Amino acid sequence: MKRNKLYLAILWGLAGGLAGETIAATDLFNNPVSSIGATRPADTFNSPVSSIGSPSAPSTATTTPLAETKPLPVATATAPAPVAQAAPASQPETTTAATTPAPAVTATPAATAAAPAADNKTVAAADAQQPAKSKLWSYQPVKEPVQPDVKNKGWVRTPIDAFVLAALEAKGLNPSGDADRAAFIRRATLDVWGVIPTPEDVANFVNDTSPDAYEKLADRLLSSTKYGERQARRWLDLARYSDSTGFQGDQTRPNFWRYRDYVISAFNSDKPYSQFIQEQLAGDEILPDKQEGLIATGFLAGFPDNSNSRDLVQRKYQITTDMTDTVGKVFLGQTVECARCHNHKFDKISQKDYYSLQSFFANVSAVDNIPAAKGDIERKYEKQQAKWEEATKEIREKQQAIIEPYKEAALKYHNERYLTDSRESIFKPKEQWNAHDRWINHRLANVTGDDDLAGYLRDASNSTNNKDYSAEIALKDKEYKELTEELRKFDDLKPASGSLTISGVSELGHQDAPPSYVFFGGDHERKLEEVQPAFPEAITEEKPDIKPTGFSSGRRTALAKWIASDTNPLTARVYVNRIWEEYFGRGIVETVSDFGKAGQKPTNPELLDYLAAKFVKEGWSIKKLHREILLSSVYRQSSDYREDIAKADNENKLLGVFPRKRLEAEEIRDSLLVASGKLEDKVGGPSVFPPIPDNLGAAPAQWKVSKDKKDQNRRSLYIFTRRSLPYPLLDTFDMATAQEAHSKRDVTTTPLQSLALFNSDIVLGWSQALAGRVINEAGTDESAQLDRLYEILFARKASASEKETLEKFLSSHEKVVREKTADGKFEISIPTGLKDGQKLDPIRAAAFVDLVHTVANSNEFIYRF
Amino acid sequence: MNNQSRRDFLLKSGYGLGGLALSGLLPGGGIMQAAFASELEDPLAPKAPHFPAKVKSVIWLHMDGAPSTIDLYDYKPELVKLAGQEVPPSFLKGIKTSTQGGVGKLFASNRTWKQYGESGAWFSDLLPNLSQHADKIAFIKSSVTVGATHDISILKLNTGGLNPGRPSLGAWIQYALGTANPDLPAYVVLYNGKREPTGGSVNWSAGFLPAVYQGTAFRPGNSPILYLDRPETEAATQQAENLSLLKLLNEKKDAAYPNDSELQARVRAYELAARMQTTAPEAVDLSKESEKTKEQYGLNDEVTKGYGTSLLRARRLVERGVRFIQVVSGPTDVNGDTRNWDAHTNLEENHGKHARVVDKPIAGLLADLKERGLLDSTLVVWTSEFGRTSYGQSGTGRDHNAWGYTQWLAGGGVKAGTTYGATDEIGLQVADKSLGVDTYDLHATVLNQMGLDHLKLIYKYQGRSERPTVVYGKVIKELIA
Repeated sequence: MKRNKLYLAILWGLAGGLAGETIAATDLFNNPVSSIGATRPADTFNSPVSSIGSPSAPSTATTTPLAETKPLPVATATAPAPVAQAAPASQPETTTAATTPAPAVTATPAATAAAPAADNKTVAAADAQQPAKSKLWSYQPVKEPVQPDVKNKGWVRTPIDAFVLAALEAKGLNPSGDADRAAFIRRATLDVWGVIPTPEDVANFVNDTSPDAYEKLADRLLSSTKYGERQARRWLDLARYSDSTGFQGDQTRPNFWRYRDYVISAFNSDKPYSQFIQEQLAGDEILPDKQEGLIATGFLAGFPDNSNSRDLVQRKYQITTDMTDTVGKVFLGQTVECARCHNHKFDKISQKDYYSLQSFFANVSAVDNIPAAKGDIERKYEKQQAKWEEATKEIREKQQAIIEPYKEAALKYHNERYLTDSRESIFKPKEQWNAHDRWINHRLANVTGDDDLAGYLRDASNSTNNKDYSAEIALKDKEYKELTEELRKFDDLKPASGSLTISGVSELGHQDAPPSYVFFGGDHERKLEEVQPAFPEAITEEKPDIKPTGFSSGRRTALAKWIASDTNPLTARVYVNRIWEEYFGRGIVETVSDFGKAGQKPTNPELLDYLAAKFVKEGWSIKKLHREILLSSVYRQSSDYREDIAKADNENKLLGVFPRKRLEAEEIRDSLLVASGKLEDKVGGPSVFPPIPDNLGAAPAQWKVSKDKKDQNRRSLYIFTRRSLPYPLLDTFDMATAQEAHSKRDVTTTPLQSLALFNSDIVLGWSQALAGRVINEAGTDESAQLDRLYEILFARKASASEKETLEKFLSSHEKVVREKTADGKFEISIPTGLKDGQKLDPIRAAAFVDLVHTVANSNEFIYRF
Repeated sequence: MNNQSRRDFLLKSGYGLGGLALSGLLPGGGIMQAAFASELEDPLAPKAPHFPAKVKSVIWLHMDGAPSTIDLYDYKPELVKLAGQEVPPSFLKGIKTSTQGGVGKLFASNRTWKQYGESGAWFSDLLPNLSQHADKIAFIKSSVTVGATHDISILKLNTGGLNPGRPSLGAWIQYALGTANPDLPAYVVLYNGKREPTGGSVNWSAGFLPAVYQGTAFRPGNSPILYLDRPETEAATQQAENLSLLKLLNEKKDAAYPNDSELQARVRAYELAARMQTTAPEAVDLSKESEKTKEQYGLNDEVTKGYGTSLLRARRLVERGVRFIQVVSGPTDVNGDTRNWDAHTNLEENHGKHARVVDKPIAGLLADLKERGLLDSTLVVWTSEFGRTSYGQSGTGRDHNAWGYTQWLAGGGVKAGTTYGATDEIGLQVADKSLGVDTYDLHATVLNQMGLDHLKLIYKYQGRSERPTVVYGKVIKELIA
């Protein structure tokens, strides 16, 4: 507790832009110890296994076909190099051999890692067999194309249509006609909001005879907060968003919902994408005195982490790696991570480029204790926290008293658990710290708590053989443990959700960053040349303009500005393509996070550049981009099957029909909630815990079901994301994994999904509620009930033949239910939430629940057409 | 068709559709070959391996928490002799250690050692039952890995990655070979104890492979799969009629989309789900097993019952064609705490208990597989995230050792009764480092026994052709018969 408060105060000052002496908090944890062996392992055996990405079997690294080798398609097997693109090899490549840009941030002399350099050359030589080529299409500037001429001019509602139509006409194909309005509004509402529309919304739109009915619909959809929620979910996929750290401990990160809410609000307020990027990458530098800017950096701070790692140097490398790779993938659509262990096999990204990119993040520390402005959530939290503190004051003071005399020994003991190179920093006197030591010690302070100190008592008292053993320690340990048990009894008094603080990143008030190096084979223990922050040379000749802020290196601001600049060839293309993929199920560039050579080429490059240029021209307005797509003829097409398209364009790459799509995990759950009338429509706030199956075997500490029933019925993006325990109902429908940036939702179809949707008590409960709603809204007439059910789920009435099938089922099913209940033992599920005074035959009503449940399981509900 | 669109095609075409007869197997496995119509129907359709497989199934016994293999298999008289002394510096050369508890005093436990079988393999007194099967086992006494903490090393053991995100070995196998039994998942995870193993599903995740390839955790108890049971209020007759209606509704809708295999796959998925409601509980129902078998696995003893149940279930899954069964050893009560094998203190009690939990069931598994003629077609892998140090910690325990520990293989195609590699005289580091076996090598070897070449098993992801062993790995030929 004490540590946290001190620490927090410091960070606040820091976040406010104060430079200077700010790391005092870590003093508590650093008792300089005379001499700890500081040997750097040079052993050839150990190093291959001591780090990520180092080749353990040299033979595989050079002689065997590496992972990057093109897998069969035999036609290319004889090609000299694994080159995926057939660009004319005319222009000689000049950038690869260019000298390093050297932005003057630090003046550290270059590394003196002479020995391994020779090794590196071998690798480089093996990899650098690519013939010189012209600049990759995606690295070339976006050029606004001329709108093509088309025959069927009447079909062109937006320029988008002209680009799509031109390609169709070139193949002699016609586009499909408009979808009927009901199908259209169901499609658009699902795509923009992530839930099905209400029957009233459907009727209003279908009956709207005004010429701008579609425009009004688009504007209505885009101005709802549900738009931001739906868009946020897809962005959170990319941000590998989680409310927990991951790894074995998988500790709760109580502040990350603030980042989620920031994202929702960014979309809803139509924050320009360029600004959205800059805030997430460098909000702490750009908007240091705004809470929003700090919260935005949760994007970087969301890396998977394990607080118990004993190798802090390796941890730093892995964290930096996560940030670099995530940024490369998400914003630039580049698989930069391929260049971590060796020069990129396909793209002209060298290891040096890669580590230059890493160095933008070299000085970044994660901070979790920035105080948040006080609103209702915080005040409520504080009040509850105060109750817990009051109730447990005595116990905690007793524990403090037990630990106090051992604090020094306990800290030393704890700190000694870290590996050799971490200890070099940990046991170095503070006045000698360099930027690297500062990072390590901040990390140490951040992951060390009272429980870690208590570990000393536990271990020392475990056996009389222990050198620190004494009868007194054993007694103290026993007392401490008993107090911990006692303390646990008050857990229910702790605030169930919320927090008082913000998580984000910071450079801890210092503008000097630790040096960055190229690592041989990606092994952080094998340093090669030192590198400075620089953009990949293959993409741009621009040099970063780094201006230290006085409390931060300014590196990330420079990076963010380049990424978000109007002239960056990748950023806008990559983003408009992601949005396109959301609507049409396939990007114009199918590999949405790989715009490199190994990725797919755009199926319609002019369309991509049109969208990208327009996006930038419209001030990076995301809503305008959505609006244009929503109002296009391409999007308005019917999804009905067409023989001619199936023959001429089997994969529908030209979009001659509208592609139907399985609903995403959250769309399924949220739409069922909407249908049942149970959705708790509230935007933002701490994450919630709906029930999970009993046989999942989750520890209570990992998943404490929300007490408030309403919280159990919030939209899926508010469900707590625990990396080790993905919410089962969503997980089975291919929701994003939170382990790394998730670029594209897969669509798999499995029996486990069927089981979940058919057998889950929760889903059945929604069906019961939906049955009740249908009866309430349609009255007792069964034909009207079926129409209402179909209106709610499918945005249409049931056909006569469907009604016949369903009526037949009801009659037969009534008998089955009656038989089942004959012995009086079997319970039945009846409609819930009925208005007062409804008189129902319970058996027929139970049969109706089954009917509703079955219809909700059908393809027509799980897909949007 | 290029790989990307082919992959999509595979995904969209769903699960369990047609073509499951074992005829029409595809050569090559994975997606290295050009598209075949029957393969496109179903991502889990059986595919032929790269070369004839030695085994049909793998049972992957993960000893969670890292046992001290110098107290189980790797007999070091020199360690006993030097016990209580500082570690001679020469033995520490080249390794990064933590000093907590003091690296310094070598530590010997109260073991007695004997050689067993014709192979003369050493076992300590902690494994009285397993030692009877000495001649079925090929030991790897030169195992190495990256060892900072359990979670990282467990991830690496299961997925080859130090960060979450890579597919687990079982997922690769399911991806490469499909399923041999459409009514059960081809990759199943078993655990004993009340809770999921720590770290959870990331250790059986499909990583960047489509989710359809992830492991399915079979939960302890009668209802092994999530949502397997009908809701309490629903009779079997009721559900059957519901499913008939569902089929009718779907077929009606799907008729308008004659070529849409994804919609059709969904119809089929419900039929499979209905079958799974019978096949999955049956697969884990031990009531029809003989008394002798139950005794063999230790089901009649409270100590061994939980783990024995997992292993007997594993055998039943092998019989039903499941390809990869990952069994995680559960925690047990040590000195009042619920602990896994992670004996930083109290090694004596910890390993005494844990060895007793697994010794009889594993011996029973090997014997049972042998008796049923299944041992030749099954690979049993005894493995852990790392081993434990020769020097003591806290006076009564051992720290993590990633520099030299023992794992073993038994079963089909394994050179039984051999030992590969060795540790130094005190059991701390691999003696001849050219014989070091990293997890990548273990994976390559397991894949090899399944008829898969780890260098050719490829999945295109993010512009990179990924393989199970990242950019490492070699098959340890000396372990193979």
